[in-house]
Amino acid sequence: MVDSHNPMSSQRPRSIGARLAEWWSRLKRRSLEAPPQKRVAIVGNPNVGKSLLFNRLTGIYVTVSNYPGTTVEIFRGRTHIDGVLYEIVDTPGMYSLLPSSDEERVARRLLMEERPDVVVHVVDAKNLSRMLPLTVQLMEAGFQVVLALNMMDEAMRAGIQIDTEALEALLGVAVVPVVATTGQGIAQLRRVIHAVAHGTAHSLRPTLGRRHQQDSAVAAG
Amino acid sequence: MEDAISKIAQWLRADYGLSRRAVALLLLQEDPEMTALVAEREDPKVVAAIQQLVRELRGRGERSPLYRITMTRQRFAEQVTGQVTAKVTVKTRTLSERLSDLLIHPFWGTLFLVALLYFGFYQFVGVFAAGTAVEFLEDTVFGKYLLPPLVRFFEWLIPWAWLRELFVGEYGIFTLGIRYAFALLFPIVTAFFLMFSLVEDSGYFPRLALLVDRLFKGIGLSGRAVIPMVLGFGCDTMATMVTRILETRRERLIATLLLALAVPCSAQLGVMMATVSKVRGGIAVWALFVFAVFLLVGYLTARVLPGDPPRFYMEVVPLRLPRLENVLVKTWTRLQWYLWEVTPLFIVASVLIWLGRLTHLFDWLIAALSYPVQWVGLPKAMATVILFGFFRRDYGAAGLLDLVDKGAISGIDLVVTAIILTLFVPCIANFLMMVREHGWRAALVMTGFIFPFAFSCGFVAKHLLLWLHQWGWVGS
Repeated sequence: MVDSHNPMSSQRPRSIGARLAEWWSRLKRRSLEAPPQKRVAIVGNPNVGKSLLFNRLTGIYVTVSNYPGTTVEIFRGRTHIDGVLYEIVDTPGMYSLLPSSDEERVARRLLMEERPDVVVHVVDAKNLSRMLPLTVQLMEAGFQVVLALNMMDEAMRAGIQIDTEALEALLGVAVVPVVATTGQGIAQLRRVIHAVAHGTAHSLRPTLGRRHQQDSAVAAG
Repeated sequence: MEDAISKIAQWLRADYGLSRRAVALLLLQEDPEMTALVAEREDPKVVAAIQQLVRELRGRGERSPLYRITMTRQRFAEQVTGQVTAKVTVKTRTLSERLSDLLIHPFWGTLFLVALLYFGFYQFVGVFAAGTAVEFLEDTVFGKYLLPPLVRFFEWLIPWAWLRELFVGEYGIFTLGIRYAFALLFPIVTAFFLMFSLVEDSGYFPRLALLVDRLFKGIGLSGRAVIPMVLGFGCDTMATMVTRILETRRERLIATLLLALAVPCSAQLGVMMATVSKVRGGIAVWALFVFAVFLLVGYLTARVLPGDPPRFYMEVVPLRLPRLENVLVKTWTRLQWYLWEVTPLFIVASVLIWLGRLTHLFDWLIAALSYPVQWVGLPKAMATVILFGFFRRDYGAAGLLDLVDKGAISGIDLVVTAIILTLFVPCIANFLMMVREHGWRAALVMTGFIFPFAFSCGFVAKHLLLWLHQWGWVGS
């Protein structure tokens, strides 16, 4: 049952170059920059627009592609929301918390080891039913989830209408419709991330606060 | 089931970064990583109890816990979706959907692929970038304006010829390293990345994956592997890293081997087009031969390596009109990455060649290499080209170009060398990436296989070409 040949395990031999690069970036981070106050992870199925959303939130360009599975490494960026320094982490695509490929394993390990303050689950609004199971799993795992409904423009064109407030009430997590390619909804997403990170989501919508507090209680207990 | 979840959740003591309920669910779904982690962190008694419970649940009911948990979530998701979404219009088949069907059609899809490869890659990258643009940069910009004053400057600066060689000698940092990096590779790689980004953003690749899935199954890969393979035509080093998107280690190993062996990178492609195309029928023989090796080795590796054939599941993304801005930014970031990675390697290679020549180490190596070279039936001078190919694949290819320009090699030998160089040990950067992704052992085994295999193929190719020449199908 024990998978001793896991290629991504931390004991994997790494090149001196990679170790040097890591050491250098850690040194740089420590000496030049203040540590981030809050951490936000962007997760979701492959090809739903995570990297583009990351670009929009941080202003850092990582390769974006109309092809599933382009992000194979973890990218980090920073942004200020309301004077608070956030670290935003872009992850490889995952279909579920139960990984079936190395990249999914990378994404899950990140969630487990770094315990982000907010997890932004990006979904393709056209395929909501296929993506919600991961939302449920993230909530079960005790994360503070924000659901970003991406590609709202394409959904609209396909004739799909989504009642985001009803979705919010049913799931009990904040839902933000966005169009990452044009930047629509990004400002609202930033506000919601900030509110959820500081436990004031109920100020945006009364139904939200309770559920988020419950979830944190589950996570703590 | 719910009972088992809460029982396990209560037993757990350690912190996993996930809620206990989530950990319990993963254990019931028999997630290997989580099971190992729990076995490591919990009391052995608890571990045994959990194992007992999981086994019990698996035995009970006709469906596995994994299936039941997945279905419960899926039902919930569908229920929620049904409650919050409304479909306004009856969907008609759009133009893009009809186009999509054509692209995965066995006949029309293949036709489109061939057209794309011919116009997009052969004509644009191979002929325009590798021909016209390289010629202009090499002959005019570097040959006429940049290098002559530089050479004069170093002649004035450094009186010792042996040291001057390092900078402006035949294989010097400026005359070889910088010139190849900027005049030869830069235009080719730019054109390739531009084309690649354009096709990538259109959403064509998942359809290509569907199209070639059948063929790839035969060589132990799934359609998913199409991306690293296509990317390999740009840069094998980058492609080797991208094999991470493949699901099993087995599939990754096969893809890595095939990339190193039979997928020429854009720099090589450019030079091959420029040299081998001078021989009548040369390109066809070279391409068919390398493709045959690709299929054969893939087929055999899939037989030899233990493990199951990959499952294929991929989202087919909608076809989109690429946005010029995105394509340009993406091409630019890839180019930046490439220049940062590649230029230093060229300089290092120049220094190594200089050192190797100065210490006569190269003479030894070339002498050693000349045996297999002569066994294949090639002129001795090819040993030099192949040795330099070891430092960077494209270096060797470019050395070949020089020999052709001097008229020092026959047409058949040119094609044979091109085949050996294409199959030969990947460039140093690619090798290091193989080590990083799969460890020293796997990387050394693969290179150890490629070495003699490339020469054996050269031997076969030489005789094949001589035979074809007799029939008048290939020029000399």
